Amino acid sequence: MTAHRDTIFLEEAEILERVAWEGDQYWLKVKAPKMAATARAGSFAHITVHPLRPMRRPVSILRVHEAAGEVEFLFKVFGEGTALLAERQVGETLSVLGPIGRPFALHSERPRPLLIGGGVGMPPMVFLADEIRRQHPDFRPLMILGSEVPFPFRMQPSEFLVPGIPEGVIATLPLVEEWNIPCRLASLQGYPGCFEGYVTDLARRWLDALDDDQCAEVEVFSCGPHPMLEAVAALAREYDLPCQVSLEEFMACGVGGCAGCVVEVQTEDGPRMQRVCVDGPVFEARAVFG
Amino acid sequence: MITPDDESLLRTEFCGLDFASPIVLLSGCVGFGEEYSRVAGFSNTDVGAICLKGTTLEPRPGNPPHRVFETPMGMLNAIGLQNPGVDVVVNEILPQLDFTETRFIANISGSTVEEYREVARRFDDSPIDAMEINISCPNVKEGGVAFGNDPDMSARVVATVREVTEKPLITKLSPNQTDIAENARRCIEAGTDAFAVINTLMGMAIDIESRSPVIGNNQGGLSGPAIKPVALLKTHQVWQVAHPHAVPIIGQGGISSAEDAIEFLIAGASAVGVGTALFYDPLICPKINAGIADYLRRHEMSNVAQLTGSLVLNERQACGC
Repeated sequence: MTAHRDTIFLEEAEILERVAWEGDQYWLKVKAPKMAATARAGSFAHITVHPLRPMRRPVSILRVHEAAGEVEFLFKVFGEGTALLAERQVGETLSVLGPIGRPFALHSERPRPLLIGGGVGMPPMVFLADEIRRQHPDFRPLMILGSEVPFPFRMQPSEFLVPGIPEGVIATLPLVEEWNIPCRLASLQGYPGCFEGYVTDLARRWLDALDDDQCAEVEVFSCGPHPMLEAVAALAREYDLPCQVSLEEFMACGVGGCAGCVVEVQTEDGPRMQRVCVDGPVFEARAVFG
Repeated sequence: MITPDDESLLRTEFCGLDFASPIVLLSGCVGFGEEYSRVAGFSNTDVGAICLKGTTLEPRPGNPPHRVFETPMGMLNAIGLQNPGVDVVVNEILPQLDFTETRFIANISGSTVEEYREVARRFDDSPIDAMEINISCPNVKEGGVAFGNDPDMSARVVATVREVTEKPLITKLSPNQTDIAENARRCIEAGTDAFAVINTLMGMAIDIESRSPVIGNNQGGLSGPAIKPVALLKTHQVWQVAHPHAVPIIGQGGISSAEDAIEFLIAGASAVGVGTALFYDPLICPKINAGIADYLRRHEMSNVAQLTGSLVLNERQACGC
């Protein structure tokens, strides 16, 4: 018998709130007390989308409210399954399986976490920011979010000065601003107050503004589209920074039983196919991207 | 947990093995027997047996992603027998399993007949309860379904494995062949103790934007409710051959409710395999157990074995066309 027994919960979760954002993005708040009590930043839920759809869909967790037993999700319609999930309304229930997976790991010797989220990769970064402000109030994190569709929140100007950030790049996510965590937004779409370029270009400006001692305190955390993660991993390698990335892959069981969701990872014993669901979804960037 | 009331109804004997329930968790769906125990409420004690992930002589990395993809009422998979090799399974994984909870069945595979023999020989010297011979994997280049589609080769694999073990042998048959009954007949002659009917149906899905198959292996095996009617017919066809020899069948393919399981039992199965349905509902096994038990009570049957092969065929009338 193994230690992982009884760590994932199956809950019939009532949808309490639902908001549709531009760009086929949806925010849901559901009642799932067991997941709310045990989820960690980076872990995810595996959700049924329709009674006639045999496969669940992995959805990353945006926030949990342990006392209220509530969990927030943010997802984007990507295919037929997520389109069905987007149709679910307040008062309906979703079968949610979770929390699943290896979460992000913060390290006290790296008190300057750089959180980089792109598109549907934004939610785990918000969850991680929440974890940082609760567990490591002494940390000095920076969050950079990128999107090529309108951001799924009302942007506001930030009151924090962030070294290296170009003038006029002031738009932020109000929630993390409330948490006293500086954040900046990037997009190629020319949204007001956002950096016009890639998240990695903006991250580089910040890293270049740090001195060597400060840079040695940075650890990079990222979730987003594969090409973005590849660029983030390359940036971390260039600055010799540890970097954790959260991956996604088509997934069947979500509990490690089927080996359907693998990614090739470099290990001490050579390349190995590891399961995104329970060996990940968070991996060391070097192990995945070299 | 199976309730005391249901226990006597569901407990059944399969190839001399004591199954607490007719449910068998299928190879490739539940890793090496401990993965689903992550889910609170899931218990290995709810099933009669668990078929472990397909195992080969040497470790195999498996196929490149994507390995799974949803299709109408089903899914394609092409895992490619990713496994750490038989020695790791026997020496490191089996000792971690609790054999008091359920029966554990090894699923053995190989690229050559000799490899099947050697994998079986190593499992023979282990606490494993039985072995399932996988001559029906559609997702590997050599062995697998290439053997299972050829009755001569199927019989050779069974006979060769039979030489090295006394443990119950279950031959997993492919639906991707012309005459499954003839293959079954040959495997019985070669010494199989039981059958698992069926493995997945070969299929493909194409991304029309890239014009490439979605599955990294290009083709995969189709499972889930979509294949249930095919699996049911094949189960009945094999039962007609196997029943006179008292060779039992694990019927499998798209079972996702007690009613589905009962259909397979009626068609001739002595046990029922559950795989893809776990992905939708990890806690489905207690529901299937309860549903079967209720059905047996309603039909005044005292044990699930009474259902096996109880199919009443319709009188076929000439249609005149």
